[in-house]
Amino acid sequence: MDTGFITALEKIVGPEFVSANRPGRKVYSYDASLVEGMPGAVVFPGHSGEVAAIVRLAEASGIPYVPRGFGTNLSGGSIAPDGGLVIGLARFNRILDIQLENRRVVVQPGVPNLDLQNALAPFGFFYAPDPASQKVATLGGNAAENSGGPRCLKYGVTTNHILEMEVVLPGGETARLGGPNGDAPGGDLRGLFIGSEGTFGIVTELTVRILPLPEAVITMLVVYDGLDEAARTVSDIISAGIIPAALEMMDQPVMQAVEDSFPCGYPRDAAAVLIIEVEGPADGLETQAGHIDRICRQNNCREIRRAHNERERTALWAGRRGAFGAVARLAPRYLVADSTVPRTRLPEALEQVGRIVEQYGLTCGNVFHAGDGNLHPLILFDPKEPGQYERVHQAGREVMELCVALGGTITGEHGVGLEKQEGMRLVFSEDDLALMQDLKAAIDPAGRLNPGKIVPPDIEVKETVPFHDPGRFSPGALAPGSEEEAVDMVCWAGSTGNALRPVGTGRRADYGRRTSVELSTLSTRRLTRIHEYDPSNQVISAGAGVTIGTLQDILADHNQWLPLRAPLDAETTLGGVAALACFGPERLFHGAPRDLALGLQFISGRGRIIQAGGRVVKNVAGYDLTRLMIGSAGCLGLITRVTLKVTQRPQVCRGLVAEGPIDACRQAAEGLLRSKTQPAFLAAWPLSPGVWRFRAGFENLAETVESCLKTAREVLDRAGLASSVEDHPLREGPWADPYERIYRLPVVVRMDLPLNRLFDFTGSSPIPLDGSDLLWDMGSGRLLLGLTDLPEDIWSALARRAFQEGGYAVLEKAPESLKATTDVYGPKQSAWPLLGRIKKAMDPGNIFSPWQMPGVI
Amino acid sequence: MNRLEIENRMSQCNQCGFCQAACPVFRVTGHEAGVARGRLTLLRALLAGELSWTEEVEEPLFNCLLCGACTANCFPAVPTADLVLAARQEYLDRAGKNALHRLLFDHLLPYPDRLRIAARAAAVGQKRGLPQMAGALGLLRIFGGDFPEIVKIIERPPLLPLRDRLKPGTVIGASNRPKAGYFVGCGMDMVCPDAAHGTLNLLDRMGFGATVLGNCCCGLPAHSYGDLRAAQKLAVKNLNLFRDDTHDVIVTDCSSCAAFLKKYPSLFPSGDPRREQALGFAAKVRDLTQLVAENPVSPGTREKKLIVTYHDPCHAVRGQGISREPREALNNLPGVEFREMTEADWCCGGAGSYSLTHYRLARRIIDRKASHIAQSQADVVVTSCPACMIHLDYGLRINNIPVKVAHISQMLQGTAAMGGSPV
Repeated sequence: MDTGFITALEKIVGPEFVSANRPGRKVYSYDASLVEGMPGAVVFPGHSGEVAAIVRLAEASGIPYVPRGFGTNLSGGSIAPDGGLVIGLARFNRILDIQLENRRVVVQPGVPNLDLQNALAPFGFFYAPDPASQKVATLGGNAAENSGGPRCLKYGVTTNHILEMEVVLPGGETARLGGPNGDAPGGDLRGLFIGSEGTFGIVTELTVRILPLPEAVITMLVVYDGLDEAARTVSDIISAGIIPAALEMMDQPVMQAVEDSFPCGYPRDAAAVLIIEVEGPADGLETQAGHIDRICRQNNCREIRRAHNERERTALWAGRRGAFGAVARLAPRYLVADSTVPRTRLPEALEQVGRIVEQYGLTCGNVFHAGDGNLHPLILFDPKEPGQYERVHQAGREVMELCVALGGTITGEHGVGLEKQEGMRLVFSEDDLALMQDLKAAIDPAGRLNPGKIVPPDIEVKETVPFHDPGRFSPGALAPGSEEEAVDMVCWAGSTGNALRPVGTGRRADYGRRTSVELSTLSTRRLTRIHEYDPSNQVISAGAGVTIGTLQDILADHNQWLPLRAPLDAETTLGGVAALACFGPERLFHGAPRDLALGLQFISGRGRIIQAGGRVVKNVAGYDLTRLMIGSAGCLGLITRVTLKVTQRPQVCRGLVAEGPIDACRQAAEGLLRSKTQPAFLAAWPLSPGVWRFRAGFENLAETVESCLKTAREVLDRAGLASSVEDHPLREGPWADPYERIYRLPVVVRMDLPLNRLFDFTGSSPIPLDGSDLLWDMGSGRLLLGLTDLPEDIWSALARRAFQEGGYAVLEKAPESLKATTDVYGPKQSAWPLLGRIKKAMDPGNIFSPWQMPGVI
Repeated sequence: MNRLEIENRMSQCNQCGFCQAACPVFRVTGHEAGVARGRLTLLRALLAGELSWTEEVEEPLFNCLLCGACTANCFPAVPTADLVLAARQEYLDRAGKNALHRLLFDHLLPYPDRLRIAARAAAVGQKRGLPQMAGALGLLRIFGGDFPEIVKIIERPPLLPLRDRLKPGTVIGASNRPKAGYFVGCGMDMVCPDAAHGTLNLLDRMGFGATVLGNCCCGLPAHSYGDLRAAQKLAVKNLNLFRDDTHDVIVTDCSSCAAFLKKYPSLFPSGDPRREQALGFAAKVRDLTQLVAENPVSPGTREKKLIVTYHDPCHAVRGQGISREPREALNNLPGVEFREMTEADWCCGGAGSYSLTHYRLARRIIDRKASHIAQSQADVVVTSCPACMIHLDYGLRINNIPVKVAHISQMLQGTAAMGGSPV
């Protein structure tokens, strides 16, 4: 590498933090995958300013650069092209701020996942994602890959637990993505960046959500004499609507390799074992374990053991987590496939994988996240044997094809990197891939950041589809009857210079900035097909025009529901919920649309039908367009279909209701957020000056709810709130009344702040909150405020305050007069220029909601 | 290990990276060249001819602590320390030993008397504020700019080594008791003679008749440096002392010596008569901490409550699998509250002469260790290796942490800790 470049690097970070000799580069030529590439230099910046300077230098010198944590990547994502620059983030190794009261931690990306867990444990908290390699996998790497882990079955993957991040973008600018509860207005850039495998930016700081450790854990080791019986058990457990915290599977070859390494308590003579863990409030846990027990026995398990103490539990997990390393006892190298299948297809998937591997004259071991349907066949080989390397890759390719054919995807958590690029065509169309390529080019115009990953190299550049029949539609209110017709309408708009406003029922058509452009509405209300409902896999895919009410009716037939209560009533469409990322206080327990959506379909500004995501619970194939579209408020395309994860209905929905002063409500909420009761929601609203109604809900098994109510009542007592028990309706929750009162007012302000800032804010708000029509979501940090009038100066003060406090305020609803003089999204944010570039890439003709997106000028 | 064996063991690393979690060097540098996965990659590249045996590889070959934590955390148990040692030997064969090491391994360590004279000269020199002896040995040249810091590692070198107080052959305890040969480690002899004396008294209380041996250096420093021949020479010299041995056990209170003495047979190829001799010898070797468990002494009394934590020397916990025994012994002491510290079994960075040759790295490693000791809120940190004692004492001192360092025999005897005050 050019010595001038090395000298310049040394000037930025100091000579001791640059490795340019051969041995120093050689040790950065690999990761935990099979891919290799010899970098030209390795540099270790110490803060984000240095990262930015390095990025600028590399781009000015035309040198590709790749961020790297501890190099445990399993798809070659951290491998630099030959002669490229590796930016090692090992010095970003500090936990900056543990904020228990906000349920979050600010941390640097070079901290290994387990170090964070160890730092949190003494406080009784944990960070949910727990990749098997957590000992050495860094949080920055977890974010880049959207890592999973055993516990993700219950808690979701990394994207569900990162709230905010600071990134150095190509070009050297620094931006903050996300927000106090994650969803910044305009589009979920944090969601887009998570899982982008280090191709969009370099993360220099993360804010992650943490949760109180569960009160109790039961860990079971279920022993089988047949692999298929173990697989059937998994499928049966999921079909029965039980979601354990973890449901892992390991077969005999892997167990033997593990036991040869360290005695962890696995039976060497069994064909397979399941490791099943349930956790939560102690009451009700035995009931759950009992259900699982029965299903295991029905599937002829040989034996069910329980970890009797923490030591036995730790040993079982140590064996599971070390399994990839242990198979080195069986063969020098392995290729790990990472495909995901719908859980009910697991038995046949395993059988077929065995057949494929055998066909290529190879052997494999299985150790994987069975509950997610996320297979990890470790196909063993010796690179010294001629032909084996090629055969192993062919076998890997066939495994991907198989899993896609079964309704799954090519990678559940390890990423595409360099190893699975060709597999991308198995799940995505050329249009989908072209859009991903456009996005990469929009964010990284110079193309130097981690180039050549994820998207296969030879994608055709797509232009907007020309439309030759300008008279077919006329401006006004459009409502396509099919996705194809919607494509025509978009192409028509593009060719005739018309602009479109995607809507559902149209009740929120006034959302966003004031527009001087004449807009035609493009309504999804006729896209009402249920494309697929697979109750056993708990997945439903429906047209964007299907209303929440209809969906819940369909799900109710199978005792399931979509755990989401939109601020509007049952008439809200799925497309609307997705586009506006609507959620209520249940987000605390059940998640928001971004957590429930597995995939969606939309029509891009180029008039192409784009499939984002898929229909399996774990999926990291390609860029996460699903998260990007959710909350993009009709600026990036027309959402036509949404695929959602649904769940069993809780046995009971019951809560504590109390009335009292705001400080008592605050104390109660803070106490419950630190407790092990797992409330579904915590919210309050003012009844009259000085008197607030506080409500804490629990939605679970009856006996679990009963015990949580008991504990919760003690917390409320301590806060001086006398409470009573009240049931609430499953679908509407207890919010119908406050929502109704808020939204009938002409001005609605939404504010998202870190929990404790929101608490403080209420004491010093520029607007008196006492006695207003508002709903204060104390679990997610959101305040929804209805007003009859809002002077511009007060709005500006409010928005500025929110921004200073680390959050934001949005004018959800406002008269045109107010919108004319102010930005409904408040002061400019560092992520907005990026939003503007993304908008331009996805909708170059500015067809969808022009000038609406923050950052578009 | 022959070449095929070496290649086979190296191929068992599938680069999972788990070694990074346990490697004290990696955890302070974050650089792959300082962790098993990286070192093994370099060794493979050296064997394949992709890299050459030049000075560029010296640092990654020699900045390994040889603490063995990577292997203990490795599912296929790749013996990285052994492989690194083999590579060091190869490197020295090609690049040659430097003058200092020749002096140390060939002319000082085999001769306990010469070594003691050298140590005393160094001690006197330091007392005068003039590290003349060290300077004369060429240390300044080797350690470069860190030298002024390095001389502070040993705060007050004792003027009178153990074997200047108790001549070899001295017997403590009645001759009709089980016979214990007390193997005097260089560090115990010259830096911790008080603790060594304590060990002899402890052996007496345990009911042994203990003889002070006239042994020379066990050979571990030479072996760690990659000088197998020098190590063999030292081993043979020691083995010859025991030709007509009548001792029931050979005891040492230096866990590093104990681990290496037990390893003597592996220094010689099978079929070599010295190997047979070494096997018989090794079977008799006991780490003092093992004896403590087998021969409990009646505890004394202690008025003031003392919080004690334990630092596992690498050569005790991974070298010999000893971790339970010293903890039990400490727990049984009256008036003592034993408190486990975080990462108790992590190398302190002393690692023989590592703190001298890699001062800056060792400093960062001991800083981490010192903070864990401070967090345990112990009054005393106990261990059983003089190199650890020296380095722990240095780390605590330089970080202003008022915790005393004691050898386990001092703790059991209730005698002085390093620095002089009683524990």
